[in-house]
Amino acid sequence: MSRTRIHLILIVTLLLACAAQTLAQTVASKSDEPKLIAVVKDASAPLKARIDACRQLAIVGGKDSIAPLAALLGDEQLSHNARYALQMNPDPAVDEALRSALGTVKGRPLVGVINTVGYRRDAKAVGTLGELVNSGNPMVVSAAARALGSIGTGEAVQALRQALPKVPAECKLDCYEGLLRCAESLAAAGKTQDAIAIYDPLYQSEAPHHVRGGALRAAILVRQTQGLKLLQEQLPNTDYILFSAAVQASHQMPSAGATAILTGAMKSLPADRQIVVIQALGVRGEKSAVPALLDAAKSGDPRVRVAAIQAVTELGDPSAVPMLVQLLDDSDREVAKAAQDALATFPGSQADTVVMRMFAGNDTDKQRLALDLMGRRRMTSGIPALLKAAGESGSKVRADATKMIGDLGGPEQLPAVLDLLKNASQSQDLGAVEQAMTAICLKATDSKPLADAMIAQLDAAQPPQKAILVRVLGAVGGPNALQAVVACAKSDNADVRSAAARALGTWKTVDAAPILLSMAKQTSAPAEKTLFLRGCISMAARGDLPVPERLAMCREAAGLVVRDEEKRLLLGTLGNIESPEAVELIAPHLDDASCRQEAALATVGVAEKLLKAQDAASFAAKLIPSLDKAARNAASEDLVKRAKAALAQAKDKAGIK
Amino acid sequence: MSHNCSHLSRRAFLGTAAAIAVPHIVPATVFGRNGAVPPSERIILGGIGIGNRGSGVLNWMLPERDIQFVATCDPQKARRQRVKQMVDTRYGNTDCQLYPDIREFLAVRTDIDAVLSTTGDRWHALAAIMAMRAGKDVYSEKPSAMTIAEGQGVVETARRHRRVYQSGLQRLSEGNFTFANELLRLGYLGKLHTLRAHIAPWDAAEMRHDWLPEQPLPPKEETDWDAWLGPCPWRPYNSEYTRGGWRNHYDFHTSCIGEWGAHTFAQVQVAAGLADTSPVEYKYVANDSGDGMVATFANGVKLVLERDMAGKIWHGSCGVRYEGDQGWVAIADGYSKCEVSNPAWMADFRKLVDDYMARTQRPMNHVRNFFDCVKSRRLTVANPVVMHRSMSTVHAANVCMWLKRDMKFDPAKEEFVNDAEANRFRSRAMREPWTI
Repeated sequence: MSRTRIHLILIVTLLLACAAQTLAQTVASKSDEPKLIAVVKDASAPLKARIDACRQLAIVGGKDSIAPLAALLGDEQLSHNARYALQMNPDPAVDEALRSALGTVKGRPLVGVINTVGYRRDAKAVGTLGELVNSGNPMVVSAAARALGSIGTGEAVQALRQALPKVPAECKLDCYEGLLRCAESLAAAGKTQDAIAIYDPLYQSEAPHHVRGGALRAAILVRQTQGLKLLQEQLPNTDYILFSAAVQASHQMPSAGATAILTGAMKSLPADRQIVVIQALGVRGEKSAVPALLDAAKSGDPRVRVAAIQAVTELGDPSAVPMLVQLLDDSDREVAKAAQDALATFPGSQADTVVMRMFAGNDTDKQRLALDLMGRRRMTSGIPALLKAAGESGSKVRADATKMIGDLGGPEQLPAVLDLLKNASQSQDLGAVEQAMTAICLKATDSKPLADAMIAQLDAAQPPQKAILVRVLGAVGGPNALQAVVACAKSDNADVRSAAARALGTWKTVDAAPILLSMAKQTSAPAEKTLFLRGCISMAARGDLPVPERLAMCREAAGLVVRDEEKRLLLGTLGNIESPEAVELIAPHLDDASCRQEAALATVGVAEKLLKAQDAASFAAKLIPSLDKAARNAASEDLVKRAKAALAQAKDKAGIK
Repeated sequence: MSHNCSHLSRRAFLGTAAAIAVPHIVPATVFGRNGAVPPSERIILGGIGIGNRGSGVLNWMLPERDIQFVATCDPQKARRQRVKQMVDTRYGNTDCQLYPDIREFLAVRTDIDAVLSTTGDRWHALAAIMAMRAGKDVYSEKPSAMTIAEGQGVVETARRHRRVYQSGLQRLSEGNFTFANELLRLGYLGKLHTLRAHIAPWDAAEMRHDWLPEQPLPPKEETDWDAWLGPCPWRPYNSEYTRGGWRNHYDFHTSCIGEWGAHTFAQVQVAAGLADTSPVEYKYVANDSGDGMVATFANGVKLVLERDMAGKIWHGSCGVRYEGDQGWVAIADGYSKCEVSNPAWMADFRKLVDDYMARTQRPMNHVRNFFDCVKSRRLTVANPVVMHRSMSTVHAANVCMWLKRDMKFDPAKEEFVNDAEANRFRSRAMREPWTI
């Protein structure tokens, strides 16, 4: 066998071995390493195969893979892939190979090698990197500066300091980055003074804003409690960058002294800066800031006042509550609104107490505000006071209080609300009670006891109250409620009868369907008949019911429908029932001038769906007359087209030429 | 804008401009911008790699009264121009500047305070780090990083240069999700034992390593393929990659786990107060629990990666569910309200969301939270640590899938325990000249 042929077979074998690994992720095993190395070394192997081999060696490559991969570090095409394989290989020989490459590799690959040396934090490379950072080639200088920063030793700091004045302008930022990285490493190693020796000159330098700001923030934090002095010094700094950096540092300073410094400096600062300090006090969360914040909230620039109100709310100290109450009356609308929002969310019982006090007062506006706050605070503790107010004939917030009982209360409040119902006479009170009863009942997990309690009131109730009970029973539902509402539908009082008809017309459960039909047949009042019929047809539209049941309802209703509106409602319902019988029920309406278009649409809609069924051949013939009529009667071009297409399909399925 | 305004402070100018309904473009250079934004000033915004998703976010940002978008960069000309058209139409001028090269963009536009970065996944961390090193605050789309090392780089750079960073995890600023988180935090659910997080529906975390067929390179000014690839290994050009076909390729994507885990893991970890750590144990899917892949935090709370159960325990995409010994809550996209084990909790919806906003000073508006923090220098809701730790969970789960076995992770050291093979996945060398 020729050498070339052996070579080809080897390549094919290796490629096949890797095939499963190239399309989808399959991690090679350690035993694959020799094969992978062979591919990497084979300059005649396809590029893709060599790249894939490098990728696998990134996971399984050991000592044996290092030299073959290092040999590719200068290769423009494969240098990255070689580094990809070497970067996470923990063998120290990788560092030696990379250091060696620093002296031999050129151009873009050299930048990559420097980056990987930096990632691996090879302290032995500092000397060479120190030379490269002075090379004058901007890409190389920048990479070396960052790598020195990642290594972060004292020697790296020296190299960066020496290089900084000499590097090209576009590389300065990377030198600053390097120095900041070094400072972080030194601080982490407990060499605080060495870190400070980097941070202090940087924040005082002409470096870009984020370098100065970052350096100052770190200079304050690394000093720990000693950093308070630096914080204090920088707050009056006219340079907004350094001011802002100092304040940001305070977010993380555990010492209580920082709060004292911030509050002490606040007053002398312009509004923008006061806001930043106030927000920092909110982040710090120390209660000792509250007096200064309340002072700021009292007067001055409204934006500062709003920020102070928000910050005291963050702190949640009860001593702020009286001031917030005062600010509700502030002439500045934004401030007053902020105070209101603060009271709505202020933690603790102190705020509940002042809200209750406000509600107990004589100021109607304040009482309404208190009601809003009770709702937002979910103050169930206020329910007794609400019940009292709801029952007072002289109260101007009677109706609002009643509604709030529904908002905050639960089923246990129903008896009291039923008492309110008995005594209510004005329409706004009746409306409020109805709203409260409905809200309470809809919260109950078991509504039957509530329905029974309301049913027990029916006999003695006056017509307006009775109508309300009927409507709420309609919302609650259940067999007992249904029976009671049906009885009310036969009431002598028109209002009660109408309420019952509406309740039945929107009944939620299908047990009302036969009753609706029966009542539609019996009633002589046209409006009630319409409500019953509509209720019945709406029920038939429910997709969760079995089709035969829906069809039966439609069939019954069809016999009673007279008005065009109900005809259209019925056709709309039938148009959504996938059954040949639905088409049959629609058919008579195809000749009805008042609704033939709706009938055609419903016919085509049902037929299109039915004809997709596997057993369509068994009923297709039945659809043909209706489709034929729909195709002739339809007014719109699109519907005619659809009808003809469905007709052709039906004929085809039925075997009719 | 005429230069005779230069004697005004930006604040004074904006105080006047605020009363005018028509947006005013105020070149920051007029005011001698120096890299920080006091509360009353306008934020000068730029864009990096804005495509379809990015346009949606930009549309969300542009109406904010205190921002002014001035320039965008993208290696694809068509995308650059789409952004310009959108921005110029909004402002009624032709001022939006275009840059094909991110390095030039960051070096030249020293007037820009913050960037919206919505590149493909491969560029997210690198672009954010480069922008922050250039002094910009960053709103970046998720996933925040392709590897654990990249995530560490984002955290360190933001801290080092005191930059504000927000990941586009907008569910952390939505009422429904916030309510669910508050239910858990306030103890409505009792003692938490299980978190469930949706991962993308396509099966498995296995990823493609093949190359699409080579096509002729387009002119560099149309698509700069080298820049498009960025830190990833070189491969031949195929236009499909640039049209979203990069998904599922190992070099460009964080798998089905990252696709939605980048959203849902952050959500559950924030909710459970575990946003500054990562699970300590990962059980490969073939485990005895019957729950698929399960990760466990040091406090014993389980995180179940839900692929098959989605639609049963919640309805919709990007769902999460928290289970305690007294109840549960589930929430997914498109919900008008949470699903809860106790419907009575829903009465507290407004209170819990309002209280959260007052307590944290974070609005239910994700981009607004970013802009507020640009001015206050507070931590954003989707800050670098939240995103790094939740993405570390994604990365570790991916490694678990790829190595097809259980593994342990040390959140303090941020490495797999006694697992040299898994530890090699923590970083990928970036193609030169890119580096973090």
